[in-house]
Amino acid sequence: MVDRYYAELDQAEKEKRPVAYMLVGGNLTEIVRSFGYEVVFPEIVALNCAIKHKSLDYILQAEAQGYGLDVCGYVKNDLGLQALGGNTPFGHIPKPDLLVCSFSGCYVYIKWWEALAETLNAPLFNFDVPYQRTEKPLKEDIEYMVAQLWDFIHLLEKRTGRSFDMAELKRVLERSRRAEELWVKYLEAGKHRPSPIEAYFEAVFYMFPINVLRGTDQAVRFYETVNAEVETRVKEGTYPVPEEKVRLVVEGVPPYTNYRTFWDFFRKWGAVSVAATYPKVGGLFDMGFYHDPSRPLESIAEYSLGAYVNQNWPLRRQLIRQYIKDYQADAVVIHGIKSCRSFTAGQGDLRDWLIHETGTPTLYLESDHEDPRYFAPAQIKNRMDAFFESLDQRRSSAAATPGRSTP
Amino acid sequence: MKAAAGIDIGSTTAKCVLLRGKDIIGRSLNPVGVNIVRDAEEALRLALQDARLDRSEVGFVTGTGYGRFKISFGQLTVTEISCHAKGAHFLFPGTRLVIDIGGQDTKAIRVNERGEVADFAMNDKCAAGTGRFLDVCAGALGYDVAEIGPISMEARHPVKVTSTCTVFAESEVTSHVSRGKDPKDILAGLHASIANRTLSLLQRVGIEPEVTFTGGVSRNEGMVRALSARLGLPVNVSPLSQYMGAIGAALAGQERLDGGVAS
Repeated sequence: MVDRYYAELDQAEKEKRPVAYMLVGGNLTEIVRSFGYEVVFPEIVALNCAIKHKSLDYILQAEAQGYGLDVCGYVKNDLGLQALGGNTPFGHIPKPDLLVCSFSGCYVYIKWWEALAETLNAPLFNFDVPYQRTEKPLKEDIEYMVAQLWDFIHLLEKRTGRSFDMAELKRVLERSRRAEELWVKYLEAGKHRPSPIEAYFEAVFYMFPINVLRGTDQAVRFYETVNAEVETRVKEGTYPVPEEKVRLVVEGVPPYTNYRTFWDFFRKWGAVSVAATYPKVGGLFDMGFYHDPSRPLESIAEYSLGAYVNQNWPLRRQLIRQYIKDYQADAVVIHGIKSCRSFTAGQGDLRDWLIHETGTPTLYLESDHEDPRYFAPAQIKNRMDAFFESLDQRRSSAAATPGRSTP
Repeated sequence: MKAAAGIDIGSTTAKCVLLRGKDIIGRSLNPVGVNIVRDAEEALRLALQDARLDRSEVGFVTGTGYGRFKISFGQLTVTEISCHAKGAHFLFPGTRLVIDIGGQDTKAIRVNERGEVADFAMNDKCAAGTGRFLDVCAGALGYDVAEIGPISMEARHPVKVTSTCTVFAESEVTSHVSRGKDPKDILAGLHASIANRTLSLLQRVGIEPEVTFTGGVSRNEGMVRALSARLGLPVNVSPLSQYMGAIGAALAGQERLDGGVAS
């Protein structure tokens, strides 16, 4: 499916079909798809490069152009890749006809898109998404965003020469909603004991369609197939870890450069993620931010506003606390990345809050999602071993002393 | 009764402790080179020699420290974090917070009343504030690292050492020397700088008495005093503090022996 997507992008360039670049969080893919655009998500291209161990080549190219060590790895991967002609091990990435900065919560995104606009000479539309500071979206925020969406639609009409077709948008949104419901069904399977899914490492693989192919039949079919597989797993008793010992909530972006190694550090201890925040980065559908064809633009605005990293910290904390309870998790693992302040800043406080306010054992680890130079396997493994050892020890003590619960 | 051996392979030294029941019957300490398997074997051999014990009398071998996976002749590996907690609790049962400063790592470990790890924090990607930091700075002043603790305690006007990087701290020390500062005052400044850095790590897990100081740097009296002053609390130190990881590993092995696990 991923190969087909990249082949399709290549084909779009050859056929001179329009291509839009967009960010994952709170994206506007349904609107651009209704105008016949193909969508490139440079963040996803970058993480695919990292998984294929190619990201450092592009990062070094960007650093040679003057981008500093502390600049986000996604940004440097993308700018380095563009400078080297856009060829990746999985296909050629076409140049954009339109840049849609669909999430403004991260200042770096805007600067990244401005750099692309300048170097690739492409028009830039900036969708200004207010910060989610209240539990429920504010009416004023929604109105402000819907007004911008109409501006966006008029821009697309002008660029494509096509008239906006509300009926077509509703059809696309209908398919989005169906895929979203199926995706949530998959994620909620983590509530079973033992969990038939790996809600972090596996879900990260499975989030590709919900972010990239949302609004297509392909995404719907994919999640139907996945859910059928999960049902079979439950029936046959096949689980991600043969013997589930620790149920985890995982927060943070994974180290894509060392994905398998990192995953193995968990598996060794029989630790399985039953819920995670990162796979929701494209949308907090499980918290009710679904697309609604009966309120097309309003629901797109609500969805964009509800992007995970657009939530304030009290809301993010409550969400994690809810996951711990609903998914009967024993502990939390946080993986911070030096690249991304909007995801990572505040995670140290989150760790303290989880330990002291909720009594949940919590481990904080740090590396990077794109830059392999920041992944120190021995140090990370040592911390994880010590953490799981201490959980094991406390569980053994609690079992030896009936009536005492594990901290 | 068979003995349990705990071998701690750290970044600079290998330590071995032999335990029979609750008694430490032998120990050893030797430098670590590139051949960790050989260093571990040597540590065990020296400890057996110290205890006047035959290898066949050892019922269980536990490895700890960064080199633990190389101890091919052991039956168990445990992280040094759990081992330091266990070892500190064994020697000082009232311990609630362990400060372990070794060659490359500084660890803050909060311990519960059973000697189990409740929380921990470690220095990240940087050896400033560790034993290596003291080694480098002692060298810059022309001292051996073993002498600097007592000398630092003679300071009258400690200087401020602001660097948080081992390499830059060395240049800072050189700069103080060239400005004619007394080496005693520079050394006191260095010890205070490590104490400040350690304090921030300790605050991450929560400071609670009793505090036990372990690892190679705990042999440095100047460091013990600087930490105690910064914490405003007495700090437990044992002549065996450097062996705390190995003691914890031996205890973990002893528990297995008590539970009926044969070698």
